Amino acid sequence: MSCSVDLKAYFLGELVSAERAVAEKHVNACQNCREELERLNATRAALLSLEEENPPQRIAFVSDKVFEPRWYQRFFSSGPVMGFASAAVLAVAILVHAFVHPAGAPAQQVDTAQVEQRIEQEVNARLDAAVTKAVSLSEERQDRKTAQILEAAEKRYEDQRRLDLADAQQAVTYYRQQFNRLMVANNDWGNRR
Amino acid sequence: MIFREVEDRDLIAKARRGHVDAYNVLVSRWEKRVFNYLLRLAGNREDALDLSQDVFLKAYQNLKKLDDPAKFPSWLFRIAHNEAFSLLRKNRPEGELASEPVSGQSSARMFPAELSLAVEGALNRLSEDHREVVLLKIYQGFKFEEMAEILACPVSTIKSRLYTALDLLKQSLAPVNTGGA
Repeated sequence: MSCSVDLKAYFLGELVSAERAVAEKHVNACQNCREELERLNATRAALLSLEEENPPQRIAFVSDKVFEPRWYQRFFSSGPVMGFASAAVLAVAILVHAFVHPAGAPAQQVDTAQVEQRIEQEVNARLDAAVTKAVSLSEERQDRKTAQILEAAEKRYEDQRRLDLADAQQAVTYYRQQFNRLMVANNDWGNRR
Repeated sequence: MIFREVEDRDLIAKARRGHVDAYNVLVSRWEKRVFNYLLRLAGNREDALDLSQDVFLKAYQNLKKLDDPAKFPSWLFRIAHNEAFSLLRKNRPEGELASEPVSGQSSARMFPAELSLAVEGALNRLSEDHREVVLLKIYQGFKFEEMAEILACPVSTIKSRLYTALDLLKQSLAPVNTGGA
């Protein structure tokens, strides 16, 4: 096509507004481009008639039990609960301090941040382990598939080799029989002479 | 679309902090698109499902490496592309991709199932590179720049592949277009 407009970029919505306006004006004036655009639109309509499929099952990541948060994860990840727990711990600490320690003794502080950090580390470690396990399972699956493919290929190769061998043997037997027939005929002819 | 983007960004930020639930929402939001892209590339459901599984697992493991959460879609499809092509490369010596024969219904009106077969056949007859750009543009709606990121090649290559693929599809679907609608 001799037209300077990038019709496909226009059709695909890849032109900036100024270019789009120029292309639009050109398409209105040029019958060839108008027809080409119609063909492109019809092609896209045909392509989009292909319906999307739903995955036959949910991606395992969603339903996999190992990824579900445990009760203590849920408990500690909840902000209000943590706030309440911190306040309660603080209140108990103050009470204990008031009854047990004499005035002036160094205060003993319960470090909730440290507890939280330890739990987070534990959760992360479990998550990492679960992900590593899932990865190794996935790799195992791939390896198994490759091994199956190789095995099938080898079997096919072996079958083909056996068939070729049988064909060759058949051919040898045939030529041997022919040769024997010739020899017998030759002897008969010699005897007759 | 803007709201959706913000929500994805939010989910990504949460998932990065270890909220698996947030990641599960992301998976359920994207699994159908990723599965269909892989299905059209790999050609069978079993492989597409296995690949989808691997894609989301790898995405989860590498989520912290994603610099800009707004680029999550093209980043996710980059992983999907890599996974699909590594499988296709593995399978290639086993047998070439089957190009399904399309019934030669050039003038009769086509029923939806026949039209689907014709379109599937036309897509299957494209090379993998050509088919993939059609999948990313027509079915997934990515921009040229995003496609260049997904496929790690210049925009000029993307354009050239897509234009060629469109010409080929236009030719092979011409009977459908003239006879169908």
